[in-house]
Amino acid sequence: MRLVRPETPRDAVAALTNGAVALAGGTDLVPLLRDRIVEADALVHVADAVPRGVTSTSTSITRVGAGTTLGELEVDPQVPQALREACALSASPQLRAMGTLGGNLRQATRCWYWRLKFPCYLHGGERCHAKEGEHREHAIFGNERCASAHPSDLAAALLALGATVRTDRRELGVAELYRLPTDDERDVVGLERDELILELDVPAADASTYLKAMDRRKWAFPLVGVAAARVGPSVRVALAGVAPIPWLLDSPAALDDATPLPGTAYKVELARVLVRRALAATG
Amino acid sequence: MARLIRTEKEVEGRYTEQWVVVEEDALDQWPAGPLETVGRDTPRVDGYERARGEAIYTADVQFPGMLHTAVLRSPHARARVKRIDFERALAAPGVRAALGPASGESSGGDAEASGAGAYTPDSSASAPYSSHVLTDEPSFAGAAVAALAADTFAQAADAVRLIDVEWEVLEPLLDADEAVARESLLEEPRRYERGDLERGLGEADVVVEAEYRTQTLLHNALETHQSVCRWEGDTLEVYISTQYIWGVRSGVAKALELPQDKVRVVCNFMGGGFGAKNNAGDYTFIAAELARRTGRPVRCALTRREENMASGNRNATIQRLVAGARADGTLTALGGEFVNAVGWDGFSASTSGPMQLLYACDNVRTVDYGAQLNTSPNAAFRAPGFVEGTFGLECLLDELAAKLDLDPLELRKRNYSDSDLVDGRPFSSKRLLECYRRAEPHWARREEVRARSEAPWRRGVGLASQVWYGGGGPPSYAWVRVGSDGRATVITAMQDIGTGTRTAMAQIAAEELGLPLDRVEVALGDSARGPFASISAGSSTTPSMGPAVRAAAADAARQIVEIAAQRYHLEQRVLSLRGGHVVSADGGSWPLEEVTGLLGSGQILGKGARGPNPAGMRVLTFGIQVAEVAVDVETGEVRVERVAAIHDVGRIINPLGARSQVEGGIIQGIGHTLSEQRLLDPLSGSVLTQTLDAYKLPTIADVPELVTEFVDEPDTHLTNLGAKGLGEPPIIPTAAAIANAIRDATGADVRSLPVTREEMLRALREARERETVAARTS
Ligand SMILES: Cc1cc2nc3c(=O)[nH]c(=O)nc-3n(C[C@H](O)[C@H](O)[C@H](O)COP(=O)(O)OP(=O)(O)OC[C@H]3O[C@@H](n4cnc5c(N)ncnc54)[C@H](O)[C@@H]3O)c2cc1C
Ligand code: SF4
Repeated sequence: MRLVRPETPRDAVAALTNGAVALAGGTDLVPLLRDRIVEADALVHVADAVPRGVTSTSTSITRVGAGTTLGELEVDPQVPQALREACALSASPQLRAMGTLGGNLRQATRCWYWRLKFPCYLHGGERCHAKEGEHREHAIFGNERCASAHPSDLAAALLALGATVRTDRRELGVAELYRLPTDDERDVVGLERDELILELDVPAADASTYLKAMDRRKWAFPLVGVAAARVGPSVRVALAGVAPIPWLLDSPAALDDATPLPGTAYKVELARVLVRRALAATG
Repeated sequence: MARLIRTEKEVEGRYTEQWVVVEEDALDQWPAGPLETVGRDTPRVDGYERARGEAIYTADVQFPGMLHTAVLRSPHARARVKRIDFERALAAPGVRAALGPASGESSGGDAEASGAGAYTPDSSASAPYSSHVLTDEPSFAGAAVAALAADTFAQAADAVRLIDVEWEVLEPLLDADEAVARESLLEEPRRYERGDLERGLGEADVVVEAEYRTQTLLHNALETHQSVCRWEGDTLEVYISTQYIWGVRSGVAKALELPQDKVRVVCNFMGGGFGAKNNAGDYTFIAAELARRTGRPVRCALTRREENMASGNRNATIQRLVAGARADGTLTALGGEFVNAVGWDGFSASTSGPMQLLYACDNVRTVDYGAQLNTSPNAAFRAPGFVEGTFGLECLLDELAAKLDLDPLELRKRNYSDSDLVDGRPFSSKRLLECYRRAEPHWARREEVRARSEAPWRRGVGLASQVWYGGGGPPSYAWVRVGSDGRATVITAMQDIGTGTRTAMAQIAAEELGLPLDRVEVALGDSARGPFASISAGSSTTPSMGPAVRAAAADAARQIVEIAAQRYHLEQRVLSLRGGHVVSADGGSWPLEEVTGLLGSGQILGKGARGPNPAGMRVLTFGIQVAEVAVDVETGEVRVERVAAIHDVGRIINPLGARSQVEGGIIQGIGHTLSEQRLLDPLSGSVLTQTLDAYKLPTIADVPELVTEFVDEPDTHLTNLGAKGLGEPPIIPTAAAIANAIRDATGADVRSLPVTREEMLRALREARERETVAARTS
């Protein structure tokens, strides 16, 4: 396996030929390589090619480099609260020191069947083993084909904050970054194979928060994560851990339309409470 | 004099009758309370070595030319190997030898030459490889089927994927209740009865009945199961992470048909075992066989995934329990049907044990079923059976207390039992009432704790009691060598599995020899360099080894006094050893090295043996824990805020080490209660929680305030030390204490572990519904 260290986005994209994979902090990618879920003959280390750090372009927009670590984000006062809290509640201090925002947005599902390489729908197969089997950590929305639960706390926070993503070739909203898997396209991230996330613009909110229910106090993925951000009178709420992708909730009543599995009904109850609390907190 | 006796030997509640040779224990116990070294906080004698990374664990053992192994484990819970083909694997870079599930010979070099690549179970002519721990009919996911040795672990792991297997996948049996119904049992149901349960229930004013469930738990010791095998001439050296050097020695000798002394077992430092490392394990036999075939040292180390698939577990249980009591709280009946979901192999632990032992109840009936399933074999896990059984029993008692409208601590006091009602023997010592007394201030906090409830958090306090074995026993031996420099070395082939026994043994020898601790070494961990020593399981290391070490030190001390008496023309009875000196009653004092210096390079050698257990008595350990919790009644989040633990294990050798055992036990217990569970795919039987992100051990953020107290009174009937074991007691009551605190806080009955969000929310919903019904009817 080769390791290349391009210094510009352009060189990085050029290096991302077939069989090459972008490597940032490696916290998700390295285990996937070791377990041979991702196969690569070259790793393109993007640390020097992707912006890192936080700047304010105006009073209302914070620009964040995709190479910024979660640890850096959680302590930066320029970063809106919901995103800071989402970072602080993620993973462990060690992982946050290595893991980057770009890598976090592209991290793979934690579905145990997928990670154990069951030939399931998301891997290109026919069935969802989780739906028929053990699925207490799985989805309550968008789970018709694949019931995986999106693991990123940051993505939900960014969705609620209405962030936009700049890649080496375009700009798009965080909502456009993700899509439910379909028969034709199983990947939930709507980027091209060699497309790099460079920066995110995160609009300021008048108030924002991130609440998270997990199986232990620290170092656990969200059972349900709820981000709320208020700008003026309008509040946007987004959820982590409830659908194969970060989930925008139009209103608290939308939870009535959840389609929980037998083992995930409790997540609807959890989401109701956390949404109510998040709305109260953002006033 | 050596005495041959037939005695009952107990390990973790399993009794076997066996012959042992014991030597009388001639020493009087030391007075109670802190002495010079014993009974005082003592940091680990090997702490710096461990912290600096100098301690050599099995995972650190390296030999020139050492090969690494990867094991092909069955991905199916029940299957048959129709065909297995090693050709591609053997051709892979670095691969030196392979082993498969049948008899035959091969190594990397000549495998291709002999054309022995492909192999079908029924055509043993072409079967190239074999080991008795490999199977072509795996009966659980993770069973070892084949193994490869290569120059590096990466090469072995790569090549193992190239072993081509054609499986015939069969339907697995995964449900414990179904297994009992189909009589798929590992042993006859174990029935126990005293008195008459029906009569007892008839006499009861109040009866409670409930079903409790506990989950399958994984040990996840920091160091995975592993060994390195090396042949030195006709001797096999086994470097292994083990709780029982001598058990590995005899197990390997027997399986490989070697004389026992041709097997040397070494374990100097160990990264934990919790009960799952009492035997040699498949990895040792694989390494030994591959080492024999290649003439190289071979390491076989389980990966974390293998560890969680196939290295043992605390099996799940289903407990259907009933209790009856008179209005004053006197128990009239206790009954239980305990289904242990053991796995394909292993043992049906005594889940009914606490129900039989803890309370003075005349009418008790229990039955334990050991269900055989297509899941990986269980292994002892820190108080196997009693952790599970105490959860059921102690929750049931609180449900009973609620119905009786009686204080839960009072209920336990009223049913205190003076003697062992299972076999009518008196206890060698039992200070459980003292534990209860000391629990009172912690228990009395509950009004104040409840009052701190603030929506959505509700706070409460719960307690649970504990009984367990932990008396140890013979045979166990130690030597103590004192050199002319006045330093002592304790020599015994025991193992310190991480609990700090090395330190405790040094303290005991130092105390007896009147030496400062830094003049005592402990040489352990090598079957070729010391006498037979006890298994480190069943809370037995300190009570088994400690008395032997003290006896050996006393033997050395006696010799030193004899020499000093002759040298200084004094009577032996006026001499003793203190502060590194030989001192006489009239104030004379000579540095120890002045006396032992007479020997030149010669040494004094003391010998000691563990004496017999007190005849006709039952040796048990006791304790109580009081837990305080906060429950978010909207999200089902449970936070344990404080646990107070009071245990009675006789004399405490090292209070610092003892507290750390209790703290570790409680923290592990919190994981068992709130977050840990092995999940299986219900269709295929595959283990889904193979890595530590999925199998959720508690983190330091989950650790509450911990308060630890010991009764710390020597058991006057037990050995020259009066000390019992403490490895297991502290994990036993934790789950029940937490569950009872949850009930106190919320009124919700959690009867199934772990108390995840879904279980907590379910229990809260049930409690609300109960209240609504009650409100409507009243
Ligand atoms: C045990 C554990 C617990 C965790 N807990 C949480 C949690 O609670 N909440 C949470 O949100 N996350 C959690 N994570 C995920 C963690 O935050 C991510 O693994 C991390 O942020 C990924 O960043 P990285 O730089 O290490 O990415 P890498 O592992 O290097 O890469 C991950 C993926 O992103 C791609 N990639 C990386 N950078 C870019 C880029 N600039 N443009 C396009 N693609 C890119 C890579 O090709 C790869 O596919 C946890 C992870 C672990 C291992
Ligand atoms: S939830 Fe998705 S990833 Fe998991 S088994 Fe189903 S299809 Fe596969």
